[in-house]
Amino acid sequence: MTRPDQLKPREDSVPGTPYDGFEVGAALPELRFSITPAIVEEYFASVEADRSLYMLDGRQAAAPNVLFPYMTVPLYRKYPPIQGIVMAEVEFHWHNPIWADETTDMVATGKVIEKFEKRGRRYIRWQADWKRADGTLVATMVNTFHVPS
Amino acid sequence: MQMKREIAIDQAKIDLYGKINGDNDIIHYDHDYCLKRGFRGTLVHGPHLSAFACDLAIKKYGKDWFYRGRLHTKWVGPVCPGDTLVVELNDDGSIVESVGGDVTVIGRAELETR
Repeated sequence: MTRPDQLKPREDSVPGTPYDGFEVGAALPELRFSITPAIVEEYFASVEADRSLYMLDGRQAAAPNVLFPYMTVPLYRKYPPIQGIVMAEVEFHWHNPIWADETTDMVATGKVIEKFEKRGRRYIRWQADWKRADGTLVATMVNTFHVPS
Repeated sequence: MQMKREIAIDQAKIDLYGKINGDNDIIHYDHDYCLKRGFRGTLVHGPHLSAFACDLAIKKYGKDWFYRGRLHTKWVGPVCPGDTLVVELNDDGSIVESVGGDVTVIGRAELETR
């Protein structure tokens, strides 16, 4: 499967996970998926990106942030989302490009690293590593979001 | 030199991002629900807002962005249909996105030192 909507449990499709259901430290199941040239192009269009900026040594690369739509997939497959989640922040480090002219087989792993309350709101912080199937590190990520009560 | 772009937001753009994002979170699609939550309208996805800064980052950092780019964005205010989003990347790598002078995203785009 390739598209995020094929990989990600959608809100209301299965019972969602309340704040208390997230377990700090537990590894998320490994996620395998493929980023196709079609996904790369659809993503360029969806964020109004200028694809000409992403030429790398004469070859068309994807915007590194093509991973954004996949961002929550490793987490949501273990902890399906409830309605009303609001994203708070994200940090991505990019290490290697994803090419636009080939299908890239990817593996994502991660874990919940923190749960906390701030100003009466409850937050989940989790991290993920994004690698090619051959083990090459593509990106690392930390994401924090607010889970409504 | 500060880099800047402006983006007119409408529901069609939120829907287009939602299609590839594959979510069904009504906070992005149900205007009445969002009003009840205290927002002005449906919300642009956070990562969608972050993506608008990435075109500026690749212009600033070029090839290095693919290998040691680091993007941190914090979504601090809502962006809704009808808004004109102003996206700025400053000389020091700081990102500020705003609507009508109200800051909606803060962050940094920089290169990791290895």
